[in-house]
Amino acid sequence: MQMPNRHDLLEFLSRHFIWVVLVFTVVVFGLTINGYLGIANIANILITGSVLGVMVIGQSLCLMARKLDLSAEGTVSLVAVVAAWLMLPYRETDLAQAGGLGVELDPLIVIPLILALGAVIGFANGFMIMKLNMNFFIVTLAMQLVLRGLALAISEGAIMPGTPAAFNWLGGGRVAGIPVSVLATVGLYLVFGFVMSRMQFGRKVYAVGANEDAARASGFSPARTVILVYTASGFLAALAGWMLLGRLETSVPNLGIGLTLNVVAAAVIGGVSLKGGEGSIIGAFAGVLFLAMVNNALNLMNVDPLWVNAVRGLIILVALIIDAQKSRYRGPGGSSTPTRTVAGDNGRSGSRDARHPERLQTPAAE
Amino acid sequence: MAETRTSQHSDEILLDMRGISKSYPGVQALEDADFSVRRGEIHGLVGKNGAGKSTLMGVLMGIREADSGTIAIEGETLRHASPQTMLDAGISYVPQHINLLNTLTVAENILVGNLPKNRFGLVDWKAVNEDSQARLSRLGLKLDVRQLVEGLSVAERTMLAIAKALFNNARLIILDEPTAALTRVDIDLLFSFVRAQQQQGVAFIYISHHLEEVFEICDRVTVMRDGRIVGTRAIDEIDVPGLVHMMVGGGVKEYERDSTAGREVVFEASNLSRRGAYEDVNFALRQGEVVGISGLQGSGVDELAQGLFGLERLGVGEVYVGGDAYRPDSPKAAFEAGVAYLPQDRHRYGLIQLRSVRENVTYSVLDRLVGRLGVLLRKDEHELTEEYIDKLGIVTPGPEQRTLLLSGGNQQKVVFAKLAATQPTVLILHEPTQGVDVQAKVDIFNIINDLSTQGVATMIISSEVRELIGLCDRIFVMCGGRITREFSRAADDMKPEDILLAIEGGPLDADA
Repeated sequence: MQMPNRHDLLEFLSRHFIWVVLVFTVVVFGLTINGYLGIANIANILITGSVLGVMVIGQSLCLMARKLDLSAEGTVSLVAVVAAWLMLPYRETDLAQAGGLGVELDPLIVIPLILALGAVIGFANGFMIMKLNMNFFIVTLAMQLVLRGLALAISEGAIMPGTPAAFNWLGGGRVAGIPVSVLATVGLYLVFGFVMSRMQFGRKVYAVGANEDAARASGFSPARTVILVYTASGFLAALAGWMLLGRLETSVPNLGIGLTLNVVAAAVIGGVSLKGGEGSIIGAFAGVLFLAMVNNALNLMNVDPLWVNAVRGLIILVALIIDAQKSRYRGPGGSSTPTRTVAGDNGRSGSRDARHPERLQTPAAE
Repeated sequence: MAETRTSQHSDEILLDMRGISKSYPGVQALEDADFSVRRGEIHGLVGKNGAGKSTLMGVLMGIREADSGTIAIEGETLRHASPQTMLDAGISYVPQHINLLNTLTVAENILVGNLPKNRFGLVDWKAVNEDSQARLSRLGLKLDVRQLVEGLSVAERTMLAIAKALFNNARLIILDEPTAALTRVDIDLLFSFVRAQQQQGVAFIYISHHLEEVFEICDRVTVMRDGRIVGTRAIDEIDVPGLVHMMVGGGVKEYERDSTAGREVVFEASNLSRRGAYEDVNFALRQGEVVGISGLQGSGVDELAQGLFGLERLGVGEVYVGGDAYRPDSPKAAFEAGVAYLPQDRHRYGLIQLRSVRENVTYSVLDRLVGRLGVLLRKDEHELTEEYIDKLGIVTPGPEQRTLLLSGGNQQKVVFAKLAATQPTVLILHEPTQGVDVQAKVDIFNIINDLSTQGVATMIISSEVRELIGLCDRIFVMCGGRITREFSRAADDMKPEDILLAIEGGPLDADA
């Protein structure tokens, strides 16, 4: 009866693997890079990690529901441009800069507006995927293109500098010396961690992601759940856009470009499976910390910028390899019989009735 | 009779399988099975679902590894059985749902991977068509090779699949339910083609639930039951009742319960019809009554069950639950109306395998377990889970165990718990004992008994006739989309042979 032991160990490791890696990373970087664990650098890691972190929450929800949201980075672009456009004074566009629409709305009006815009975009994604039966990959990819195109059209491809201070509070402000963006991100993780583990909605998301047919046969409405997931993802992407624009104080038309791969990578590194139905928000948080730390270290170590992407890509591939092995080890998705987990017992010995309970009650399991 | 069987087959043994055993966790799928096929014979293989036919054929095709036993072909024992070695040895499988390249022509399907090319390296279509036409006419198969496969009838596709196997030098072809979707004319067409190949010395294993056809085409027949070979008979040594008897076995009942049926009708269907699935279905279930429905694939029974739970369209007609009109458009609506359904495909519809026992048990009743703002009441949830783990005897290390890691029987109990938690008026069970071990079967029978004692009306859709006889107050037989027979404990006419005959399509002419 070796297998159940090994199995439980592997299961434990696959669930908490990221934390081990995280501690290891902190120690290695802390020892090898000067000033890595200084207050300034830690703040730096957390601030750059917070935008990533907010987006990872939305993407994790999508992944848990066995979907993907490629449009989120497009939402970041669009809401940043729209926010700047609505808040900044009118100005003739020259080569480098564009002005706003001229309405100069108050940030307190603009913020709810862009958050709602993000939610509507997410809802549209979910609606097309679940109600019109369109493929989620293509829908969100096309949506990304649409959003990015709109952002470019509105901004005329130019930057819009000088967003108002009230708007910048989330991205650049500090409370008692702690960056507001970091506080907000941690707060969001607590909220969504609770939602996913303790609320009905979370339960449904996991169920739909693990087995949509069975979720439906259990009395859930997969369509409603997935549309809500995408709406949340759009909302969170808009929030990330607000945060990012607030930090930069300047709308750049291609804001957020290339974020998606990092976001998915952080989630997967944190144990959220691409195959749906698994993973936790707290694990995703660890994934974000890890990726933010690595990115920061790559900067500090003066790694040739031409090599940075190769290293990042490699890390992502390793995370995906681990994810794939995890599900291979558990057998093919959804339809597996437990043969693999109890392999090694080809036994023709012993009565067949007695074998089962025995196997399931191995002491190793508790 | 005799002159139709003047095939050229000798008594030479082509295939000899000896002592084949195969077990899965909790189930002995094959036990010491001996099976042999002679050169040029058509050998029937019959048995109920789960008797072990597909496992045996899986071993023969090299897609399942036997725990023990040997396979010899023409006296030569195979050392290693992989799909490739079995194909090389001349063993081919033609499934019920034929796998061909539907959007390509017959010729392309025949020569796929080996299309003749002209001197420019391009496909020589003239040669393709001529070559494939010539090959087909050698087999006596009349098909236009330029036709797309998707335009062929099912019988033609089956014959094309057999022809393809023969072009690959097959000597033994396994036909799995080839006539399930065929009209009588097509069956004749297929049979004459199969006999023509038999004359050339090709052997066939013919798997079918339609016993009439087995008698029509086979030379010998082997019966399987519960993973064992019951026996092999020459076809003129046995008749239909004898075969049925071998299939169902000696013991009539595996379990017996007392009727708990009340008087009040709680579930009623009238004139229920869905085009292409079932027609004019009428039944009424009383409180606490257990009713079985049995029918072959294609009899409409599967669609009926799924339709009654809102997984498929229900069609026209009326259904009443507890006197109220019932028309489910989703499983959610069905649960709310008091109808719960245990799906046949536990892995696809029943369980969410990645998630824990606790989550699976409470999915159906989450609405009752939430406090304010949709926060789950953990304590209530744990109590409910523990209650059902205890009540149904679910063997698990704890409520947090992933259901993936439970045995088939315990997985099934988890699904039962999920349904029972909704406190249904009507319980529809679809093959509730499939893939579970003997002990779990008895547990499941007890669960059914407990629920019906509490007044739940239960409908069991099953091909396990003996189990139904032990459990049910009445048994309906569905055939060709209609309820064709009703047996009842009260009338004392629940005889396994009669029921099986009704399932196969009514009394045979031979017995009349």
